[in-house]
Amino acid sequence: MQKPPERMPLKNYRVLDLSRIWAGPYCTKLFADMGAEIIKMESLSVYDSHRGPVSPARGIAAYPDGEPGEEPWNRNGWFNCLHMSKYGVTLELTEAEGRMVFEQLVSISDVLIENFRQGSLERLGYTYEELRKHRPDLIYVSMPAFGNTGPWKGYLGYGIGQEQLSGMAHMTGYRGDGPMKSGINHGDPITGSHAAGVLMAALRHRRRTGKGMYIDVSQQESAVALMGPEVLAYQMTGEEPERRGNRSGWYAPANSYPCAGEDRWVTIAATNEEQWQRLTQAMSAAGLADDPHFATAEQRRENHDELDRIISEWTISQEAYAVTHLLQAAGVPAGPVLRGPDLLADAHYKDRGTFVTVDHPQVGPKQYPGIPWRMSATPGRVRWPSPTLGQHNRDVYGELLGLTGPEIDLLEKTGTIGTKPTGSRII
Amino acid sequence: MPGLLEGVKVLDLTHYIAGPYCTKLLSGLGADVVKVERLGTGDGVRWLGPFASGGGKIPPGPPFLEGGNVPEDGAWFLYLNTAKQSLALDLKSHAGRKILLELAAKADILVENFAPGGMDSLGLSYAELSQVNPALVVTSISNFGQTGPYRDWKASELNLYALGGLMNITGEPEQEPLKEGMPLAQLGAGQNAFAATMAALMYAEETGEGQQIDLAIAEYATNILENALMQYSYSGQEYSRVGNRGYGRAAWGIYPCADGHVGIIAGPDHRWPEVARIMGREELSDPRFTSRAGRLEHADEVDAYMLPFLIDNNKVDIFKAGQESGLGFSFVATMKDILEMEQLLDRDYFVQLDHPVAGTLTYPGAPITPEDSVEAWVFRRAPLLGEHTASALNSWLGYSEAQVLELVQKGVIAQNEGT
Repeated sequence: MQKPPERMPLKNYRVLDLSRIWAGPYCTKLFADMGAEIIKMESLSVYDSHRGPVSPARGIAAYPDGEPGEEPWNRNGWFNCLHMSKYGVTLELTEAEGRMVFEQLVSISDVLIENFRQGSLERLGYTYEELRKHRPDLIYVSMPAFGNTGPWKGYLGYGIGQEQLSGMAHMTGYRGDGPMKSGINHGDPITGSHAAGVLMAALRHRRRTGKGMYIDVSQQESAVALMGPEVLAYQMTGEEPERRGNRSGWYAPANSYPCAGEDRWVTIAATNEEQWQRLTQAMSAAGLADDPHFATAEQRRENHDELDRIISEWTISQEAYAVTHLLQAAGVPAGPVLRGPDLLADAHYKDRGTFVTVDHPQVGPKQYPGIPWRMSATPGRVRWPSPTLGQHNRDVYGELLGLTGPEIDLLEKTGTIGTKPTGSRII
Repeated sequence: MPGLLEGVKVLDLTHYIAGPYCTKLLSGLGADVVKVERLGTGDGVRWLGPFASGGGKIPPGPPFLEGGNVPEDGAWFLYLNTAKQSLALDLKSHAGRKILLELAAKADILVENFAPGGMDSLGLSYAELSQVNPALVVTSISNFGQTGPYRDWKASELNLYALGGLMNITGEPEQEPLKEGMPLAQLGAGQNAFAATMAALMYAEETGEGQQIDLAIAEYATNILENALMQYSYSGQEYSRVGNRGYGRAAWGIYPCADGHVGIIAGPDHRWPEVARIMGREELSDPRFTSRAGRLEHADEVDAYMLPFLIDNNKVDIFKAGQESGLGFSFVATMKDILEMEQLLDRDYFVQLDHPVAGTLTYPGAPITPEDSVEAWVFRRAPLLGEHTASALNSWLGYSEAQVLELVQKGVIAQNEGT
């Protein structure tokens, strides 16, 4: 195993990470970015489903050039973008030997985190009480979809579902149309990020009091917490929020406008009178400045369709970046709708090192999203690629738990640990 | 214990959405958060409606509203500033800057979301702050970050969503790219700023070394693109808008029902017979539909067989029919649904807070709940503008009543005399 980094905020903490998919892994990704030692534990029969099926069809874009290769579970971009700088081990908790090893891992960990279906670990006999026998000051983060109590506690939830059950989807959509999902499973990173901050507060609390704690995360509650202003607004007005498309309830114009090229768009928003004036000057040929239909913000909101038509006529023959540079130079909020290739080539993101190239042994060098913020004293870096299945079994069980070579061989022989999936997992 | 972060002092120079959500999480966990607000007008988000006293009408935003008293009861301000104290201070005055530096010397954390360069022009650059307090954590949240060619660009949520890559993948393929209804780039960046701040605080407490965090909202968005970015990086194939259907999936998205909309998630192939059974259509058991690839190929047909059942049934009934069969169905909750949701009520999720202007309202509570014995969160209403000017200057700096009065008379600070 690598030596812990010298200057990183969380280098003294070890997290036993049983979480899967995205919500839990985003929390431990942020921890790994801050230097914590993450031991990502998977089962050979039910590994993290972000690794994809054991035998996927060819041509799926999540694999390098659509080619799943010999070990597809190690070549999936969904998985490989979330587990960089983490250690990867496998362990079967249904085997007696596996349970012993697990309990040893618990005893040397500061944090245990899981986002199984509610009660899964408990059904294996591992309640918080039981886990604390192995590590009295353990912090246990349990993050099922709806929390560990209540009539829905056994229900399943995905990030796409949390967008809906939190009310986010209710507010998203084109005007006059139904609710719309986002392009990602937006509930997941929201929960992961909340959990990361609260978990650090819990570790700090433990440092001061010596006491661990049990943290019950309801992914749904975490998402509803971002809806607070609209929950209050509803009580004030008695009206449900409107679906406004890209428009604002306060100012106009605000929308995405078509540009030259196929599926090319630029967003433009004039959030106050000054920006509106500057926009009319930048588009002087359109004659907006003198048009009485658009004299006040209220009129601009009322005549938004007409305004959109005029702006679209102006943008449609121009490049999205060109419109953006022109308007930004005039002090008007604008930005191109960036697509995958644009993001990786964008001058600003290149300058800031937003995306990093990481060389994965079974994938080769590819670009990934890096650490999502900059720190002046402890900048940190992505330290190694996401682990292949069971990649660090020998390091973790040998170096950290002190198992001998023959003991580890035996675990392999009995199928308690390994590097090849035993199930034919389908997702 | 009054909150997990009891005793942590936070100097809060944030306004609008991203910064205040970060410091709301800190104040919610019991940190002593003093929010420095502009004399007379306060945080701009105070002017954003709707207002508790304003009836149903949504008023114009701050740039268009002139004169009158500072609104104390706007939904956005009330929610984003719970459990904070308000200190009304003229940062642009010499005396105001001096007070700010005295406060910074006592603080553990300073969070700000001025446009880059804003702190420098106030004479409050990181170099100046760290000189008075080398252990101070300074969290700077901005649209594009403190460096880079777009540093000084202007942006609303719409532009951040576009430049962050989230917009290209939201909406219908034949229509314009769409942003989500809530400002989730700003709120999410506020969340990540909270995590970053906590990490830097732990480091500062261990080493005595503070630092500056540079968090860009647009960059936050690029960090949560998941496969939308990765599949391009891996195979050069772009991810596009797919409306309400999951990318590369069918029977996986939002559908209309009798009283609203539901989320159908077909789940793994071996669970498909359950979906077919719930929908009560034998046709759905057709072998053409039993695999994910098959359903995708015949997506419209699958939808057509599901719709009659969906249109006939209510959202909560459909949700529960799926869940009771082990399927992760969902439904599109309205604000009313959220306030009445049995799961949230059973878990005592909401808190009632009374406010002298806004009255009693029901607020979403803690986003994450440590065990009861820890008393991790505190729940207090948002402050009136300048409500804590005297008490904060007294508790942090030991200012006397006479000193405070003198500063009020000089126009450096302002106190709310109560409503």
